[in-house]
Amino acid sequence: MEKLFLFLASIRWQDIIDISLNSYILFRFYVLFRGTNVFRVLIGMTVLWFLQRIAISLGLIVTSWVVQGIVAVGAIIIIVVFRNEIRRVLQAKNLKSILWGLSLKSAVAPTEIIVESVYSMAKTKCGALLVFPGKEDLSDAVRGGTPWKGLITKEMITSIFWPDNPVHDGAAIVKGDQISAVSAILPLSDRDDLPSYYGTRHRAALGLAEATDALVIVVSEERGDVLVAKGNRLREIRHKQTLEQKLREHLGTAAVKKEAARKEGLEITLAALLSIVFITGIWFSVSRGQDTLVSLDIPVDYTNRADGTEIVDTSVKSVSVVLSGSGALVKSVTPDQVNVRLDISNAVIGQNSFTISPEDISLPPGIVLREVTPPVIDVIMDETIRKQLPVQVDWAGKLSPDLILLDFTINPETIEITGGRRILEKITTVYTEKVPLDNLSGRGEITAKFALNPAAVKIAPGSKDKVTIEYLIRKRE
Amino acid sequence: MRYRFVFFWVVIVAVQLSLLFPFYIVNPVGAAGVNQLKLFEAVMCEEIYADTPRNPTSVFSVSREKAVSFSVFDPVPQKTFIYHNWYHRDVPSARIRLQLKPPRWSTYSSIQLRKTDIGPWRVEITDDKGKVYGVLRFSVTD
Repeated sequence: MEKLFLFLASIRWQDIIDISLNSYILFRFYVLFRGTNVFRVLIGMTVLWFLQRIAISLGLIVTSWVVQGIVAVGAIIIIVVFRNEIRRVLQAKNLKSILWGLSLKSAVAPTEIIVESVYSMAKTKCGALLVFPGKEDLSDAVRGGTPWKGLITKEMITSIFWPDNPVHDGAAIVKGDQISAVSAILPLSDRDDLPSYYGTRHRAALGLAEATDALVIVVSEERGDVLVAKGNRLREIRHKQTLEQKLREHLGTAAVKKEAARKEGLEITLAALLSIVFITGIWFSVSRGQDTLVSLDIPVDYTNRADGTEIVDTSVKSVSVVLSGSGALVKSVTPDQVNVRLDISNAVIGQNSFTISPEDISLPPGIVLREVTPPVIDVIMDETIRKQLPVQVDWAGKLSPDLILLDFTINPETIEITGGRRILEKITTVYTEKVPLDNLSGRGEITAKFALNPAAVKIAPGSKDKVTIEYLIRKRE
Repeated sequence: MRYRFVFFWVVIVAVQLSLLFPFYIVNPVGAAGVNQLKLFEAVMCEEIYADTPRNPTSVFSVSREKAVSFSVFDPVPQKTFIYHNWYHRDVPSARIRLQLKPPRWSTYSSIQLRKTDIGPWRVEITDDKGKVYGVLRFSVTD
């Protein structure tokens, strides 16, 4: 019980947002792609991924490699093969329907008019082929077609398939309450178990139904039958009510409305719950496993140094931190993600000892600090002072043997520097950078910067950062 | 009468003494204030010739093998010692003791130059108590 409380106390608000956000993304993914082949393939990929993990845990090296390869290639295949479906979801829908909406259905097809038209054409043995797309994109399966975009009426449908109409030979695509295209060419089924009296129109209907999730209504020109192709099946529908029900089931409207709504509600709720469970499981496996340790050397940052003081020396420049967490998280930790910041606002002039506490160390989420070595750091502080020192030119190189540097002046002759008292007490001269003699002769003027040593020593604000040297070189007597 | 005679001769003797030792009597404090050791001249040079510095400079090539620090003290109130302290980049390199004699004295010290001596140098001229009379700066080059 105590462990449970400790565990609950260790959960941060970021963790809750983390789980909620990713659960919702997974849930939306399901809502947008459910019923399409993309989703089915994704489920297959997930099963493969689990298989790979099981294979790894069982030590099946080759199997895990093979499955890993399939998963890796599968990800690319999904994007390439289902690019149209993905594009349709991302482009055709507005932002609200992507982020919030639950149904992909839009305009409702007038099923009564369609059914009436179909049976009217069947009665007169007027052949017809009507396609009702599902969620999948048909652009890869359907070729040709003339854009139509006409509102559905009985007259419209019967006139399209009237034998003297130039566009009657082909399929009409029904989207929502419109006929979006006519004279479309459908892929033919190559099944050899179809009755001999089925013609090209029947094979076309079945061909599209096999390849996609569309529903296709066929009106036989010879027999006056009405058939519905969906999936791998081509069924004759004798009654208007049955066709209407089939159509409504497919289009998501309905007499089946109540039942379907209840089923859909259950499905959505279950999907939401499964999303939460799935993401929570992943979150636990990733962030709560404490099975891996890693040791990193992290440089120590000293913060809140009091004005007028400076750090002269420290017992260590970096500390070794031992971190634990799940393997996936620990492997991804780099030294720049870990910071050790020591607050030295309470430091006094002289030697100070600071104990590194967990609050001084910032870690990536999900990573736990196990050990710091050394746990105590000695910091020697000094008072920052200013000091006026003479400047000396550091001549280098060689004058011509017959020349001699007779005289030179430096401006300014002294410079004010700033640094720790202990350091400045030992410094009596500020040297310039090396000034080469090799090319000098006669009278001239050169400038030189300072070579400050140690680096902790700085030129005081307001002082010049270089000197001017006027020299006089003559021939040796 | 007798007292007047004694007083007269005391005054005469006092006047004579004041003429003989005017400094000590008129300004006894001046012994420490005016007549003190003073650095009159200091210079770095390549060599000493006839008790005078020759080729004064601040740059000495190692090939010339020697650097000389020459100093003149005037006045020198009494026989004393001064020091030429040679520093290479603030690190003490040599401390040479030199004697001074009244009333004025010239003296010098020198070091042999080697390849390892290349860099900035200074010579601090001090007394035995560390009082700095002057600083000479120079460089040893290739």
